[in-house]
Amino acid sequence: MNRARQFGTLIGLAVLCAVLWILTPYFLTVSNLLNVAEQTSINAIVAVGMTFVILSAGIDLSVGSIVAFSGVILGIALRAGQPIAAAIAAALAVGAMCGLGNGLLVTLGGLPPFIVTLGTMSIARGAALLVTEGRPISGFTASFRVLATGRAGFVPAPVIATAAVYLVAHVALTRTRFGRYVYAIGGNEEATRLSGVAVRFHKTMIYVVSGVMSAIAAVILTARLNSAQPIAGMMYELDAIAATVIGGTSLMGGEGTLGGTLVGALIMGVLRNGLNLLGVSSFLQQIVIGGVIVVAVLLDTVLKRKR
Amino acid sequence: MKRFICVVVAIVVCASCNRAAPPSAGSGKPTVALVLKTLNHPFFVDMRRGAQEAADRLGVTLQVQAAEREIDVEKQMQIVENLIQTGIQALAITPSGSREIVSALVKARDAKVPIVVVDTRLDQKAASDAGVHAETFVGSDNYEGGKLAGEYLVKATGGKARVGILEGIPGHETGDSRLRGFRDAVKGSTGVAIVASQPANWERDQGFNVFQNMLQAHPEIDAVFACSDLMALGAVEAIRAAGKTGAIKVVGFDALDDARKAIAAGSMEASVAQFPAEMGRAAIESAVKVIHGEKLPDDIKVKLELVTKDNVK
Repeated sequence: MNRARQFGTLIGLAVLCAVLWILTPYFLTVSNLLNVAEQTSINAIVAVGMTFVILSAGIDLSVGSIVAFSGVILGIALRAGQPIAAAIAAALAVGAMCGLGNGLLVTLGGLPPFIVTLGTMSIARGAALLVTEGRPISGFTASFRVLATGRAGFVPAPVIATAAVYLVAHVALTRTRFGRYVYAIGGNEEATRLSGVAVRFHKTMIYVVSGVMSAIAAVILTARLNSAQPIAGMMYELDAIAATVIGGTSLMGGEGTLGGTLVGALIMGVLRNGLNLLGVSSFLQQIVIGGVIVVAVLLDTVLKRKR
Repeated sequence: MKRFICVVVAIVVCASCNRAAPPSAGSGKPTVALVLKTLNHPFFVDMRRGAQEAADRLGVTLQVQAAEREIDVEKQMQIVENLIQTGIQALAITPSGSREIVSALVKARDAKVPIVVVDTRLDQKAASDAGVHAETFVGSDNYEGGKLAGEYLVKATGGKARVGILEGIPGHETGDSRLRGFRDAVKGSTGVAIVASQPANWERDQGFNVFQNMLQAHPEIDAVFACSDLMALGAVEAIRAAGKTGAIKVVGFDALDDARKAIAAGSMEASVAQFPAEMGRAAIESAVKVIHGEKLPDDIKVKLELVTKDNVK
């Protein structure tokens, strides 16, 4: 079933590409497709964490704020003359800590993920504004900016980073015990607990994964903009949820794949790119994107009912 | 997964074939792109109108694009990248981030697309570090505008005032400049004290709430400077709710229609008018001149005007 559903999303992407190919000569060029891949990378990476969380029947609304908070910590560390690796490690640690806070409040605190991450969304955003006094931190060295501007052959660095993240996450989700538990917790948490799985621990780790993914996205975003903005990443949570859901992951948990999420993120990226190329008004763009999200989920529901 | 890889490979192969035939502009008319911060603000809607009029008059095709949210510089960067793909001949842009947008402008430079910066200046250091050169800057000086507002407030209050300030989003060049201008203008008058200064993030409802809270903490406030009219109008409502209309002088920025009405009605004191349609017009004229190889001055100043009840229409 999963495979069939994933294939359906892929057909959607192919149709979308074909339509744009017919409508505009600018779409199907190497440089434009590389742009799309690069533009999609940040949402795609955030959506990896979101997929883990949603697979476990949770939700993480704090990802955008964590992108901002870990981004400004990265910026501050770089500005303070820390080596790049240390600065990135600090950013990842901040992301992990935010995720850990989310996870512990959900598992030990017994609070609904929606409420917990709604709180963290505001806390992390406020923290980002507080440590920067609201000002962006900018002007980094070329050796850091390579993370966004670099090319391996003709492939932009963010695309390589995205591919690596998906590879590792895909293996973790499908080939490890942790991955199995993510699905099990989302499918039936009580049954999973009764069969002796340390549900609390694994559930907490899921939120840590999401926090770390946001931090990785923050590194790329900061390099791309050459600036760490405390107001960065607003509404990223909605883009990530959209990519995950378009990709066929069920909001009820227990069902979905990372491949689907990647295709979901690409559909959104291609759509935005295509609408830009066609010169569609930005108001209409929002309607089209919203429509695609609803139609994708509607298809999903209809397919499930048929089953 | 295998099928997925096949499709990706197929796309890449097609793409490589397509590259042999570089896309052309289609019609003979040159295309100029105008990338705005957003289109859900009257200021930018007016700017687009002015730009469109100029484009029609000069016979160029105008492409207008904007991000959904004013502060979303990453989205704006994507728009620039995408527009470059369509072979535009010139790019006019109101940067959502003075430093951040430079990364996107590097790509425009590499594609040999000349750049006209409108309304919000590029950060000079970031631009020169990246080797980005704007052909010209079209806009009015926000610092001067803030100063105009400050000088007026000093005069209108006879040099004695307790001022509350509503700031824009922190770290935003436009708001910061207006604020600096205002502060510099009132610095010299010892009778004028700024008792509170809080961000209301450019929004009307936040202007209301923030000013209501401010008034709780500082009931002595008798003057307000808001870095935008939307926030000023929020404050006007909060003042009305507190029953202090007329006792507190509100000065805003942008001279929106609603603000002009409030000034005429006496619930607001003044507002600094910019001329966005003028900016849009000058931006497109400049872009066309650049396409024709003309040299432009570094700065094209668009006038500012203080709207008070004496000259409101």
